[in-house]
This record gives sequence, C-alpha cells and structure tokens, in this order.
Amino acid sequence: MAKKGNLDLAPSRREKKGIGQYILGFFLLLYTLFCALPVVLVFIAAFSDEQSINKNGFSFTPEKWSMAGMNAVLRYGSQLARSYAVTIGITVTGTLLGLLIMSMFAYSISRPDFRLSKFLSIYLLIPMLFNGGQLAGYIVFTSYYGLKDSFALLILPLMVTTMNVIILRTYIVNSIPSELMEAAKIDGAGEYRTFFQITLPLLKPSLAAVGFMMATAYWNDWQNALMYITSDNKKPLQLLLVNIQKSIEFLLNNNNVPAAARAAMGGGIPQYSATMATVIVVIGPIMVVYPFFQKYFIKGLTVGSVKG
Amino acid sequence: MKDFLNNTWKHRAHVVMALPVFLVLFFIMYVPMAGLVMAFKNYDFTLGIWKSPWCGIDNFKFLIASKKIFINMTKNTVMYYVIFTAIGTFLNVVLAIAIDQFVFKKTAKVMQTIMIIPVFISYAAVQFIVYAFISTDTGILNHTFNMGIRFYTRKELWPTILTIVKMWNSVGYGSVLYMSVLAGIDTALYEAAEIDGANKWQQIWHITLPSLIPMITVMLLLSVGNIMRSDTGLFYQVTRNSGQLYDTTQVIDSYVLNAIFKNSNFGFTAATSFFQSVVGLLLMLFANGMVRKIEPENALF
Repeated sequence: MAKKGNLDLAPSRREKKGIGQYILGFFLLLYTLFCALPVVLVFIAAFSDEQSINKNGFSFTPEKWSMAGMNAVLRYGSQLARSYAVTIGITVTGTLLGLLIMSMFAYSISRPDFRLSKFLSIYLLIPMLFNGGQLAGYIVFTSYYGLKDSFALLILPLMVTTMNVIILRTYIVNSIPSELMEAAKIDGAGEYRTFFQITLPLLKPSLAAVGFMMATAYWNDWQNALMYITSDNKKPLQLLLVNIQKSIEFLLNNNNVPAAARAAMGGGIPQYSATMATVIVVIGPIMVVYPFFQKYFIKGLTVGSVKG
Repeated sequence: MKDFLNNTWKHRAHVVMALPVFLVLFFIMYVPMAGLVMAFKNYDFTLGIWKSPWCGIDNFKFLIASKKIFINMTKNTVMYYVIFTAIGTFLNVVLAIAIDQFVFKKTAKVMQTIMIIPVFISYAAVQFIVYAFISTDTGILNHTFNMGIRFYTRKELWPTILTIVKMWNSVGYGSVLYMSVLAGIDTALYEAAEIDGANKWQQIWHITLPSLIPMITVMLLLSVGNIMRSDTGLFYQVTRNSGQLYDTTQVIDSYVLNAIFKNSNFGFTAATSFFQSVVGLLLMLFANGMVRKIEPENALF
C-alpha cells in the first residue's frame, strides 16, 4: 500500500504561486499556531510571576516575568535528579533490549523454510486480538509475580508490541535482500554472526523509527508507574507530574531545601509557575531530540504501518 | 513429524533468537489472559485468582443489576470512538491534502514538524496545559472573555473539550500516513488533468481523494477492533479524574483503572473487562474479515 521512494513530501509539481497558495498558507499557519501556542504557553507561564498569574490568569503576555518557578523546580534537587535517572534508565534499557529481542524474533520468523515460524507468527498476533485487560494484568503481576514496586513493571509491559515486530519483519522481508544472508552463510558465518553483522546493521533505519517510538512511550508512561511504583527513589518523571501537588508540598517540607532558598521564595512555592516549569523539565528532552528522528519515524511509520 | 523436528533442529539458532520475545509475551500478555476467569469467580485477595471460589455468572448479574454505570461507560467509550474517528479521519485527510498542495515545501516541512509535536506530550503534562486554558480562576478563556465558566463542573462541555484536545494531540501525526500515499501518486495524472482543463478542486476531487480511499478504508476497519479501548490518559488525566464529570467522561478503561486504585468492586470490574476483551476480539475478527474482502494484502491475518 504505502509506496516507497520519497515519503515525506512530494516533489513540487505545480510551481504556480498564486493567491490561492497564500490563502492555503494562511490556514496552515493558523493550524500550526493552534498546535504550537499551548506549548509556548507552558514556557511563558513557567517564567511568569506568580502574582501576575493569580491576578490576571495565565497569559501569553504576563505583567511580570520571574525565575521563581524554575528555581523552585530545580530545588527539587535530589528527587528531580533521581526521577530523571529513573526515566532515562528505563527508557534506555527498555528501548535497547526491546529492539534487540524484537529484531531477533522478526529475523527468525522471516527465515524461509523455518517451519516453526508459522506458529510463532500466530503466537505474536494473538495478543493484538485478545488480552486480559488492566485488572487481570495488575493482579497477575503484583500477586503472582510479586513484582510490586519494581522497575521490571516499568520496563517489561512496554517492551514487546506486535505492531513493532511486524514493522521490523516487513523491513527485513522487503528491504534486506536474502541473498546477502545466504552469501554470508556460504562464506562460513554462523547464524548468530549473520544476524549481528549483516542483518542488524542493515536494519538501522527501521530500528531508529521503532526505537524512537518506543523511547517516547517509555518516557511518557505514567500509568504503569502510577499503578505499581510506591517508593520515592523509583519514581519516574511522569509520576512527579501526576503527583505535582504532593511533590510541591513535599518540596516545601523537605529538609533538603535550604532555609535561605525558602525565604527567597517568599515562604510559598510559586505553585502555577512551578508546575509549568516541571512540565518543561519533563517534556523538554523529547522536544529537543524529536526533530532529529523525524525523518526516520515518518519512514518507519509509512513502510510498516500496514502489513507488507 | 520427523521432518518437522529435523527442520526445527536445523533452525535451532532461530528458535533461540525467538525465545526472549516468546517469553516476554508469555508472561506479560498470555498469563493475564487466563486471569480473565476472574469474571466467573468470587475474587478473594487472600486466595488469589485460581483458588477463589467459582460463582458462575453472578458477576454478570451484578453488571446487569447496576446497569446504569455499565451502560454509561460503554456508551461513552463507543461515543468517543465514533467522534474521534469521524472527525479525526476527516481532519487527517484535509491536512494531508493541504500540506501536499502547498508549494512552499520548506515552510510546509517546518509546519509539519510543529504539528506533530503534541503527540509526544504525555497526557500527564497535557492536563496542565488544558488547565491553563480553562481553569475557573486563572484560565485564559475565562480571563480573556470574562465568562466565569466553571469548566471542571460542567459535564456537558467535556465531549467538546476532549475532542479538541484529542485532535490537537493526534491530527498532525495522523496525517503523515495519508501524505505518504499522496506522495506516491503519479504526477502525470495531474499533468494530464491540467491539460484537459481541470481546475485544482476538480483535480483534488477526481484524483487525490480516490487515491486515498483504500488507505482510509483500511485504517477505519482496523480501528474498529479498538472500539472498546480508549486513550486512558485523555479520560483519566485531562479530566483530572473528576467524579462530577463521569457521566460524560467515564470510559471502560478509566473505570477499570479507578477500580484498581480503589481496590474495590473487583467482581464487577472483572466482568466488565471480560466483556471488553471478548467484544474487542469479535470486532477485530469482523474488521479483519472485511479488510480481507476489500484489500486482501492489507489484512492482518
């Protein structure tokens, strides 16, 4: 279905730049603003003075600017650093491990003449059609595996998805000539060596696409954290956001905050701006990384989105 | 049989490579499936799922007895699916065509990059953005237009609010798929149409739209299997899980999540989950069957 070739933007075919184009451009600009302004507001609000927000509400043009919100958040100090470490750790571990095992699986089931691959494909597909739902999962993971409050529950549930394996398999079947693999075998490379030295490097574009989507899913996952994580030193960033009210109170009563810093905040935490500053801290890294991956995931999305 | 074993032995390296995913799926996806038997059990914490006594279809009777909650969340789940899919597909297609028609390609690229950003912001963060716009005391809307609307208590406004948030979140990203189809249209078709005197609108109507129809059909059908599942974060986080709004915002997934947190009503919830999974399976089989008939190469199985 999806055609290969230039996938992001069609080569310009009709170069007429009439009035119609400017009207079209105007509407596109409106929609772009609709998408961008809420994000811009977060940045403005984070650097707005708390009194201004209380008096005039959130605004794109605050009466007074202030660093108080950002300062307050940076003084989460140890908890923020800890949560960052947790989120990064989970994202990196989950994404890399997931990519490795999913591409091995995708490679195996795409081998011609491997009879078991039919069964494995069906085995892969069933979870997409039918699943136990959140409740059964919750009870099985916590009471049967005894995994309450464990990193494993932040990593494993998001590690393998049927769709991602299908995307990788489609790429292997369509874009990596099987002659290459056979040639390697004739030259005496074993199965594992063929996979790691021939297939895996050629799979890079697809890995980048799937990897970026997985990383975002890990980074943004609040639900598993909310269900399973209880101790402070295992809380990822998203949980800090979900419990922001508690986090800010925690910060207020926290002995780690030096008295001088508390005095500088005027005794109270700038609630609104601190919340927005936390949002920036949480979503910032994705905003920064995303443009570099855009071309990969657009390609991955289109080639693999529909089964090949 | 012997052949099969020989073949498997010959491919033992592939079996080993497939094993990790096999195990993860087994423990994360397959074992919880068995947990669905809870729907037919009188669940007792101390006994666990397997040892809890059977109770036949009592949980389902309970479901029917308190049908108001059940019907309400099922209705909401389906309603939001229909609204999001209808408006979403329409906007995806319109946006894809608009960007495709726009001749300033560099500008289009930058705009597209910005339009995709919202999909990467978690709903845990989105709720604060929404709050900044609609909160009673400090919201931009109330301050700018002096309306004094208490959005978080007005349940009749939430279908609109959630739809706007969802579209903001997903349309830029959703249109990418359709753009790739547009990029694949043979430009000779447009040139020929132009020579024949067709204007822009006629070209869009007779060339662009028809070429999108197969993709639209496939995407719609494949989404049918997910009618019973929702974007939990949207309904749980963005509404701040406010009980006052449940009439219009409670969906099956958010109900189940709440039940888990409150540790209550497991019988009712298990029956609901069972209903959700089984209906989901039937819809998925139906949808795939339809795709199979229309576009065999796009069927999932």
